[in-house]
Amino acid sequence: MDIFEAIKNRRSIRHYKSDPIDDKVIQTVLEAAHWAPSWGNAQCWRFIVVRDKKIKSEVADTLFKVTVDNEKVENAAAGSMKQAPVLIVVCAETGKAGCNEEGVPVTNKGGYWFMFDIALAVQNLLLAAYAVGLGTVIVGGFDADKVAQILNMPKEYTVVTMTPLGVPDSKGQVSPRKKLSEVMYYEKFK
Amino acid sequence: MELFEAIKTRRSIRRYKTDPVDDKKIEAILEAGRWAPSWANTQCWRFVVVRDAKVRAKLVDTLMKIKLPDREIPNPAAAAMNTVPVIIVVCAKIGIAGAGHGSPGSKAQYVTDKGDWFMFDTALAVQNMVLAAHAQGLGTVIIGAFEATQVGKILSVPEGYRVVALFPVGMPDQEGKAPPRKELSEIAFKDKFGK
Repeated sequence: MDIFEAIKNRRSIRHYKSDPIDDKVIQTVLEAAHWAPSWGNAQCWRFIVVRDKKIKSEVADTLFKVTVDNEKVENAAAGSMKQAPVLIVVCAETGKAGCNEEGVPVTNKGGYWFMFDIALAVQNLLLAAYAVGLGTVIVGGFDADKVAQILNMPKEYTVVTMTPLGVPDSKGQVSPRKKLSEVMYYEKFK
Repeated sequence: MELFEAIKTRRSIRRYKTDPVDDKKIEAILEAGRWAPSWANTQCWRFVVVRDAKVRAKLVDTLMKIKLPDREIPNPAAAAMNTVPVIIVVCAKIGIAGAGHGSPGSKAQYVTDKGDWFMFDTALAVQNMVLAAHAQGLGTVIIGAFEATQVGKILSVPEGYRVVALFPVGMPDQEGKAPPRKELSEIAFKDKFGK
């Protein structure tokens, strides 16, 4: 698939078919993520491929409820996670991205460069999934500590984000984007 | 260019030719950035396209030196930033990514333990942009080690926004090297961490 086509037509998918996904396809998608650049080539990303239904459902239960019309309702992504055959949980090794050799942060973003590096990899992952006919949706609103416990994650790592991976059962909607003129400037921010 | 080819052959480029880069190509890069997904579609990214040689020189002065055991050296991309025709500076509006519905701005209530998600959302856009540059034959290298507040002053970035990263854009004058990647088995696990 042409890269610009992938970038412009990828959508966040919230309904999935339960069709199984081959390990080779998952490997292709993760390899694409792994080719992202990273701070000092630290490659702080780690991916947990969850197929086990029980674990998937436990992780889905950590999603924060959302408030709609003053009422707390289940996050729609929890349903997506249970439908899709695969859930990819993305973790970061802390104290690497944005830090010097001693693990001390060097910029005014502190230790938070792992958020940046993880997202570089995640964007590759989303594009690669789309190119092989699979849907994704980035989920961030969950209790990261609980997910870490469920997945036996050591304390040097933090859970950043996750996405279901599966055959789309609905077309994603186009979220309206700001015009380019609203987000770009020449020479100075004005 | 085919997507997987772009992803696998993109390299960080630290030497550039001085050949000009036309606005259409820059626009295609920014357009790719704009199509990234974002937290509740908040699109916190802002891009400043710098061509002015004086401004570029000022940006170079903000780069942090790299500490070696016995001495400090300039960032290997510093010289390139003076000769490359374009630098794109990526900024972020603070207080929207990662915030709950109805609580943006200075009173933002962040939903997760990561606080503001501006680093994450800008990087989604940046990855699209470096791929889009590469697909058009242009090189980039993402730089994060600079004095962000100084860059903010140079570019008149208003309060409520932060400078996140910058990258030169130009015709590569070298073949970038692929730094070795960890084995997939070191970074991908099944069902639980480490398995």
